[in-house]
Amino acid sequence: METFFQQLANGLTIGSMFALVALGYTMVYGVMRLINFAHGDMVAASAFVGLTVYTQVMGQASSLFAVIAIFMLTAGLMACVGVVLERVAYRPLRTAPRLSAVVSALGASLVIQNGIMLIWGPRMRIFPELVPQHYWHFGGVVISLIQVLILVISLVLMVALYLFIEKTRIGAAVRASSIDQDAARLMGINVNNIIALIFIIGSSLGAIGGLFIGLYYRGITFNMGWQYGLYAFIAAILGGIGNIPGAMLGGMLLGLFSAFISGYVSSTWADAFTFMLLIFILIVRPTGLLGERVAEKV
Amino acid sequence: MKKTLKSLFVVCVAVVMTATLASAETLKVGVQAPITGSYANEGQGIDNGTRLLANQINAAGGVMGRQIEVFTCDDQATAMASAICARELVNRGVKMIIGSYTSTAAEAAQKIYYDAGVIQTSDGTADSLTEKGYWTFLRNSFPNSAEAEYAADYMVNVKGYKRIVVVSDFSSYAVGLADATVAAIKALGGNVVSYDKIRADSQNFTPVLTNIRSKNPDVIFSAGYYTDGGQLRAQQVALGINADFIGGDANDNPDFIKLAGSAAKGAKIINVPTVDMLPYDLAKDFINDYEKTYGERPPSIWGLMNIDGMRAIIHAMEQNKSFDTRQAVEYLWNMDEPLEGITGPLKFAKDGNRIGSSYMTFEIQADGSYKIAHQQ
Repeated sequence: METFFQQLANGLTIGSMFALVALGYTMVYGVMRLINFAHGDMVAASAFVGLTVYTQVMGQASSLFAVIAIFMLTAGLMACVGVVLERVAYRPLRTAPRLSAVVSALGASLVIQNGIMLIWGPRMRIFPELVPQHYWHFGGVVISLIQVLILVISLVLMVALYLFIEKTRIGAAVRASSIDQDAARLMGINVNNIIALIFIIGSSLGAIGGLFIGLYYRGITFNMGWQYGLYAFIAAILGGIGNIPGAMLGGMLLGLFSAFISGYVSSTWADAFTFMLLIFILIVRPTGLLGERVAEKV
Repeated sequence: MKKTLKSLFVVCVAVVMTATLASAETLKVGVQAPITGSYANEGQGIDNGTRLLANQINAAGGVMGRQIEVFTCDDQATAMASAICARELVNRGVKMIIGSYTSTAAEAAQKIYYDAGVIQTSDGTADSLTEKGYWTFLRNSFPNSAEAEYAADYMVNVKGYKRIVVVSDFSSYAVGLADATVAAIKALGGNVVSYDKIRADSQNFTPVLTNIRSKNPDVIFSAGYYTDGGQLRAQQVALGINADFIGGDANDNPDFIKLAGSAAKGAKIINVPTVDMLPYDLAKDFINDYEKTYGERPPSIWGLMNIDGMRAIIHAMEQNKSFDTRQAVEYLWNMDEPLEGITGPLKFAKDGNRIGSSYMTFEIQADGSYKIAHQQ
């Protein structure tokens, strides 16, 4: 039983990182009908930016304040990069055929990935141990401080985002833009600003996800965005792409599923089973678990 | 008279042609190594070392009058890029290949070099590398089987571990080492409670480790590379698994200690001596030159082993007074006295294996330094 609860904790930790990254995919898709393939590489870039902020800006300070500052600065910087990305790579193609935008997204992904390699080098870089190595033992289950932080911060951010989208005027504008951009424009909504906002939110959540990856696993490589991007993309589809609670649910489920498969079946089969789960869910519910939204738009 | 003039002219032309050929002709050396990707650190070490040795030899007049020209190809430690590299380097007309770092990449290129008659010297430790009967392959490190026997003896006889877990990724190197270690442990009557496979670079090893924890092991032996080994160690400690950790030779890298962080202390690594522990004058000189040229010390002994492979081949060519690759390899097989090397005496068996073994167990100290825990 302690193995079960330990795997549960493992799954929730990795699942909340997937969910944070998946939100970026799903929000952009919801408003723009575009899979932002560069998002995974933005996540990888934010881990490197965070490392540079730590060494250059914060002077390797590791106080609580410094850690918070690293998160804020990195999220802010990556939000700017996200806005620039949208302006340069996606806005000129907004009226172009869907395929052109997808190709542009793939190109942006390669540009960012190679940019990371050129700036920070091809080697694996090592994140400092910024979070104290503190552990709690519950029976045989061990939970570390960093796991708790990842889970709690992710949940708080996701709930805040949900409330922002569902309860505020700007959130209503985002929802309106996702249902019909032309109608939203006629209602006086500045869709360009809404799209910029989507990229700000998505990129900064992705940046926090990237920093979690760096803090939790400590080793970061320029091409790791592909792996996390793929998982998050699956999470977004699993939950129903375009649907915000869906991305959260998808991420958590994916994390739990891969932890339990690795634990109880075989770690080498984890990916194969994960993809089989995706195919199964898409057969049973083609729009994802919470995907009614997508159907409503067609 | 006319005839003499004509023959004189022919001789002149011939002399001029050979002279230009001789001055233009170089000894081409290929470096096949992972210049980018997870093992870039090691790959760049091999490339830097090869170029440093080439420059040193060139400054001293080259090899039998020929200057060495180095071509580098990045195999990204993958089989696919490795085969592409092999063809590219063969087309450039290289006589020898230094590298690659991983057994997987070295193995993927073996046949191409064999067909082209190009000598390949790699630090790959997978036993399968020398099992194909390719005369072109010279291993400049010691095979997994030698390390596996040492590791099994250390765990079963020296430490007396009762419950041993072996973890490996899917690379030919790690599988080779892990399989050989498991077999050697069983041969010594040891008890392997679990033999797990992980996916390299997948970072999240906690689910596998959680299962390992339920088996209550005395020791975890990690046969893979440092990128995974460091994270395994960190996650092992985070899960509260109270077992010793022993890493195979590919964990011997400064990044292992950085990745494992505060969990690095107490972890053990089995390997031949480190760069700093090499007692030979030749080694001290070369490492000093390396540090002067590149501003850092060689990342590990593996790059230096490759340099030793290159030194052996060039030595053989000079002794034979010929650039013929087959003759050079035959010379190395039949040497009576070992050649002095940076990483110890160099001597090769007919199957391409380097003869000897000098494995040790190191324990990582709180400050990240190594302490020798066991020596044969």
